[in-house]
Amino acid sequence: MLTIEHNQIEIESKTAEAPKLKRGLKLHFESGLLGFEANREFELILDDELHPYQWLKGVDADQSFLVIPPAMAVGNYGVEIADDDVVLLDLKNPSDAGILCIATYHANEKVTINLKGPIVYHKETGRARQVVPLNAAALSLSHPMGN
Amino acid sequence: MLVLSRKPKESIVINGNVTVSVLRIDSDNVRIGIEAPREVNVLRHEIYEEIRKNNQAAAGSAVDKMKAKLLVKN
Repeated sequence: MLTIEHNQIEIESKTAEAPKLKRGLKLHFESGLLGFEANREFELILDDELHPYQWLKGVDADQSFLVIPPAMAVGNYGVEIADDDVVLLDLKNPSDAGILCIATYHANEKVTINLKGPIVYHKETGRARQVVPLNAAALSLSHPMGN
Repeated sequence: MLVLSRKPKESIVINGNVTVSVLRIDSDNVRIGIEAPREVNVLRHEIYEEIRKNNQAAAGSAVDKMKAKLLVKN
């Protein structure tokens, strides 16, 4: 099990030192996203106009998602990643891992984010998986964004 | 749907690499063990369904509308 803690200060220092790393990062989902098992290749696009959201754009299918680093949305966020996921993503320590939550833009213009099934990826290799953390029962599927 | 009867400690092999075993049966509770390769994602049905539905609602989630919303906000 690997515990990844995401808090505000950590993410701020990271984006300040390596903004280029994430621009156009290719993410490979060996088993797709849940419900989209066939879509495996995505590109993570940082778009200033979307900040703090990012754009997870499908490469092998015309399918894209709005995503957000959880630290931009909630004060502190910790996920316990199962051993199988840690091995599959080849995560040696928590700093290898990037984490994103999928945002849903509802018809009433409200936005919620999914803290329960986050996307975890290896920052160097781009290997990615939508995981169900061991502590999922305590995490919200549709956390409301405040505006 | 394929329907099979199994007793406790008996199991089913799927595709040569996934084994589903019945470990214990209580009154209304069946304890199941699953051995599968790491890349096989094994989830409780209700959790899979709620995340799948959320993904489906989020798919194509209006990048343009979000930009407009953020513009208004700023």
